[in-house]
Amino acid sequence: MIRAPLVKALGALGSPTHQIASRAVRTSAIVAQTPAKAPDTIEVFVDDIPVQVLPGTTVLQAAAQIGVEIPRFCYHERLAVAGNCRMCLVEVEKSPKPVAACAMPVMKGWRIKTNSEMTRKAREGVMEFLLMNHPLDCPICDQGGECDLQDQAMAFGSDRSRFTDINYTGKRAVEDKDIGPLVKTIMTRCIHCTRCIRFASEIAGVDDLGTTGRGNDMQIGTYVEKLFLTELSGNVIDLCPVGALTNKPYSFVARPWEIRKVSSIDVLDAVGSNIVISTRTNEVLRILPRENEDVNEEWLADKSRFACDGLKRQRLVAPMVRMPNGELQAVEWESALIAVAKALQKANGQIAGVAGQLADVEAMVALKDLINRLEGETLVTEQDFIKGSGTDVRANYLLNSNIAGLEEADAVLLVGTNPRYEAPLVNTRLRKAYVHNELQIASIGPKIDLSYSHDNLGSDASLIKDVCSGSHAFSKVLEGAKKPAIIIGADILERSDGAAIHATIAEYCEKLKKPDWNPFNVLQNNAAQVGAYDVGYQPGLQRINQAQPKVLVLLNADAGKLTREQLPKDCFVVYIGSHGDNGASIADAVLPGAAYTEKQATYVNTEGRAQQTLPGVSPPGMAREDWKILRALSEVTGTPLGYDTLDELRTRLEDIAPHLTRLGKLEKASFNELSPKTATSKSISGGAIDVKQKELREYFMTDAISRASPTMAKCISAVNKQQRQDEAKQSVAI
Amino acid sequence: MAAIVRFNLLSKPQIVAALPASVQLRLQSTQAPPPGTPPPQTKTTFGPLADEDRIFSNLYGRHDWRLKGALKRGDWYKTKEIVLKGPDWIINEIKTSGLRGRGGAGFPSGMKWSFMNKPSDGRPKYLVVNADEGEPGTCKDREIMRHDPHKLVEGCLIAGRAMGAQAAYIYIRGEFYNEASNMQLAIAEAYQAGLIGKNACGSGYNFDVFMHRGAGAYICGEETALIESLEGKQGKPRLKPPFPADVGVFGCPTTVTNVETVAVAPSICRRGGTWFASFGRTRNSGTKLFNISGHVNTPCTVEEEMSIPLKELIERHAGGVIGGWDNLLGVIPGGSSTPIIPKNVCDDVIMDFDGLIAAQTSLGTAAIIVMDKSTDVIKAIARLISFYKHESCGQCTPCREGIGWMNKIMTRFVKGDAQPAEIDMLWEISKQIEGHTICALGDGAAWPVQGLIRHFRPEIESRMQKYAQQTQRASN
Amino acid sequence: MSGLSHIMRQRPFALQMSASKVANVLVARWASSQDIAPMDLKSILARPEEVEQRNKLSGKITVPKAVNLSPISGVPSDHIRERRVRIHIPPKNAMQSGTDNLQTWQIEFDNRERWENPLMGWTSTGDPLSNMNVQFGSKDEAITYCERNGWRWYVDSEQTKKERVKNYGVNFSWNKRTRVSTK
Repeated sequence: MIRAPLVKALGALGSPTHQIASRAVRTSAIVAQTPAKAPDTIEVFVDDIPVQVLPGTTVLQAAAQIGVEIPRFCYHERLAVAGNCRMCLVEVEKSPKPVAACAMPVMKGWRIKTNSEMTRKAREGVMEFLLMNHPLDCPICDQGGECDLQDQAMAFGSDRSRFTDINYTGKRAVEDKDIGPLVKTIMTRCIHCTRCIRFASEIAGVDDLGTTGRGNDMQIGTYVEKLFLTELSGNVIDLCPVGALTNKPYSFVARPWEIRKVSSIDVLDAVGSNIVISTRTNEVLRILPRENEDVNEEWLADKSRFACDGLKRQRLVAPMVRMPNGELQAVEWESALIAVAKALQKANGQIAGVAGQLADVEAMVALKDLINRLEGETLVTEQDFIKGSGTDVRANYLLNSNIAGLEEADAVLLVGTNPRYEAPLVNTRLRKAYVHNELQIASIGPKIDLSYSHDNLGSDASLIKDVCSGSHAFSKVLEGAKKPAIIIGADILERSDGAAIHATIAEYCEKLKKPDWNPFNVLQNNAAQVGAYDVGYQPGLQRINQAQPKVLVLLNADAGKLTREQLPKDCFVVYIGSHGDNGASIADAVLPGAAYTEKQATYVNTEGRAQQTLPGVSPPGMAREDWKILRALSEVTGTPLGYDTLDELRTRLEDIAPHLTRLGKLEKASFNELSPKTATSKSISGGAIDVKQKELREYFMTDAISRASPTMAKCISAVNKQQRQDEAKQSVAI
Repeated sequence: MAAIVRFNLLSKPQIVAALPASVQLRLQSTQAPPPGTPPPQTKTTFGPLADEDRIFSNLYGRHDWRLKGALKRGDWYKTKEIVLKGPDWIINEIKTSGLRGRGGAGFPSGMKWSFMNKPSDGRPKYLVVNADEGEPGTCKDREIMRHDPHKLVEGCLIAGRAMGAQAAYIYIRGEFYNEASNMQLAIAEAYQAGLIGKNACGSGYNFDVFMHRGAGAYICGEETALIESLEGKQGKPRLKPPFPADVGVFGCPTTVTNVETVAVAPSICRRGGTWFASFGRTRNSGTKLFNISGHVNTPCTVEEEMSIPLKELIERHAGGVIGGWDNLLGVIPGGSSTPIIPKNVCDDVIMDFDGLIAAQTSLGTAAIIVMDKSTDVIKAIARLISFYKHESCGQCTPCREGIGWMNKIMTRFVKGDAQPAEIDMLWEISKQIEGHTICALGDGAAWPVQGLIRHFRPEIESRMQKYAQQTQRASN
Repeated sequence: MSGLSHIMRQRPFALQMSASKVANVLVARWASSQDIAPMDLKSILARPEEVEQRNKLSGKITVPKAVNLSPISGVPSDHIRERRVRIHIPPKNAMQSGTDNLQTWQIEFDNRERWENPLMGWTSTGDPLSNMNVQFGSKDEAITYCERNGWRWYVDSEQTKKERVKNYGVNFSWNKRTRVSTK
């Protein structure tokens, strides 16, 4: 049996430390149980500086309040406390042993010494132990230069090695694990902080990672070799404080000190995750998340992180015009613009524009202005929405509860959406609420794995009516909740009874709404969608079919929903965009645009927050920023647009929708706006509700950029392989 | 015994009158001690223990271990009355007895149990009995469980009542197959006889006892690791706070106690705390099971009075050291994790908590490992370190990495393939582990090394010298 | 993470500062108690033209506050006209947990084309401004600096930090979903 330390036995009979510690336990327990009590702050001293903190604050947090950062490896502020790396040990006066700052709640009057002899010795000791079995392969390690172990060894470690056993038995070596095409493992470097395990089980909701073995033989892994199957796997690379988990596509590509970092916005889903683009010599090397509490916290979904190699492939680098033989041929800008301008002038106002899922607000406004000047009217988005005047009211198409707000929700109904793949970082919020806020979740749609347990009410559309009439059992849950929310997938509103679904839910939400809380949410899955509605685009391609345009301008419209057959024979199709995908293949003229990493452009995310991308690199070849192409085109057609610079264009934006220039700020739809009047008929036809992305493999390729990405292709084949293996195992078991 | 029972019935002034004059003076001069204070010890020599004072009367399995035999030995006698007296009375009695935890840390049991007496917040409370006796050298709980299991079952009920627990979990070491079988039978018998379960002993108190077999990890003997293991997770210790009395097994208030501590509780309650306190020095009271193994003529487990001198214990019960007392090299006095003490310390060390702390070691589980002069003490300690290296859970850095490193160094020390400066380095490494880990396994691994360096440094140095000479000769 | 040591080193330094301040005060008191001011040999022995030069240098030059430095900075005028300066606090590197260098405001120009130099493989650029990295103590200082240089600027607002409750005990709670499942 193991004994408690000697000191404890020594001072067992009512020593002051023990009394303090046992009081500490009791107080912390009381605090944990009655959060409603008025929070009285207590005073502690960090390096003799008094700090007022709430009871229950940890030593590490108290020190952070006065800017003293205690070194750590296992502690991460968004993960549960583990307390196992022991790097954060600090001395507390009167305590015989140093305490783990990350887990220890402060007590009144504690004097914490973050730079005392004992503290420094403890850190140096832990650092020596960590380095003992850590391979000193920094020169070939991808983490080198942005490694917590390197930095902290410099700051807190010893200046020499005492590890004489390197000459006898050497260091520990651990076999690398294959956990998929995205995360490369070099397990010998692992320092067993268990951040990756905690991320997987708490945030991603998959218990795939874990430890096996004990003592020096402990290993992090998946137990049986399998993929780390989650849409958030890339985040363990960031979390890993050493180079044990590194970015596989990025491996051996660059050093952190040779790259430029550009803060930008991700557009591969409608969350608008904040990112940092790492570039070198006009090449996007990798994408990292950027902290934003309101949007993506500190995480990034795999598609947003790893699809960046799609920016180098399938790119349109020169303007092209379809020749009489039916082939696209590269031409100079001048001739391409003239060809398009001729067609536009001939069209007599029978011009239509389609904005795809990656179109930015500036280009959409420029296109709208241009077509309006040429007396065209039809401007639509590729993605459909409810029929009628649904987009007139902003609250009808926004995630009104906000991404961050969903964290506080206590009852959520998902209708025809799979947030796990449509918006992974909205799903992490839901999971967070599920874990920390006892959120109750139900879904109407197919049975899917959301990474947390939820009630699948069924997939029949008539269930919506049941719930919204209050007759369903889950209605009681929603009505009893403090902050209920109903999230509708954007895809099901494309159905013929979409308007009825929308109206039914909107009406019910009128009943559910609370002061300062709007329960009605539409989860968009295209980055361009909200911006397009905000600047006055109409949803749905059927308007194109009605209009029968002579000239059709496709702005990043690559979803493949529009075919040549639907258009009049003589229709001249112009494609403006970055990738040679569905849109370019049906175009008569292709004008190469810039991808999101190459332009300064505004995107509005699903909650209505306008954010801008910044150019990390310049567009390849002859490609240009989309709005500049349109501006040049307007010059050639003889209807010049009234803006020459981005600033002037933004002024124009401000005229249309002022919130679009208040970058980074959330512009909520005004509260009373939500009108149930959108529906013409309220009959929800029966029939199953479906979602497009049910499984992980359907997540990876959803737009022109990710379709061009070899990494995403590898992901799909890896997932397929894993599934084949699982099936084979199952059939053997049967 | 009769006298002691009468003592309990006396009122306080009468007790004072019955005490010797010197004690009376002391009592009058200071304030009267709070209730639950053990009476002061007046004896100056301790041991041997009289047969009628033995608690574990079937330690050697010479009698029936089943319920019938247990009843004959006085187990389950008036348990109902004890239970009905309520938690305060039981805890007061345990406090009076001065009983300190028998698992190694020696925390006062009465105080520990009283931590559980908080007003309930709706969570059930649990008693967890630590029967994961894994410490090399220790074999006391196993004797209790295979030969006197009813003492433990009854102890569970009384300790459980004292802390208001709903149930007791006995976490038994996986290797103890026969002990687990006996325990399970004893529990079943007790259930059948209505001694535990619903309305235990007819007292109106409901109390369940469950047994859980471990899977062979030494670390699961650490209380929080044991809790984790009991919950079905990897046995990796938790940080404190929260202490188990706040968040324990299944997230509920829990007390983890050693088998011996629980098993002596019924006897203490029946015979009175003052009876128990009459053995051993103040703050070290009671009787204790000592395990004597190693180079002695008759290795044994024996119940003895606390504070008995080590020499007397070995000579009286273990037939003396092989080759006589002068052939003694050193003794590990409290199980493998306590520092070794050399012969000159052994000559007059007293076997109790304070006596061994004074000798820079610890009573631990009172598992005495005797080594005579034929022992390669470096190899012996190296073997212990290799055990700790193997049993470290790997959760926290100093223990995971540090013990492995110590093991590497110790392996070389056995041969002598090292520099004398590395002895100091080893000392420092052991100090870097001690007190920096989540649980006490790191400390337990550091202490044997520290004991070795403290007392046998010349031995290590001479071996290094010899090795250096040999290699030099070989290279010449 | 070098910021940690930096913070830790700050305090003794501050102590030194205050100690020297005390010394200054003492000297001042001592000087005021004297009848004659202490004489400076340099000023007494200087030639008159030297004195004149020194007087010229010792004075401060007053500069009008709203000065535009762009005509004399040598930056091509199209760069000044077209470009915008982003004033922001640098984001934390997601790969690391250190927070040094995240306390100051920075100015940053939009990123322009870079290419690999065919001779050495190094990165080349024709842009004089986007490699400029200036740090400021506050947003307003950065704005003033930009206006003096005639650059148009915009401010990327500061991220708000959220207070979190960290509790080790919830890992083991009996009825909450925070209970850890794997380790």
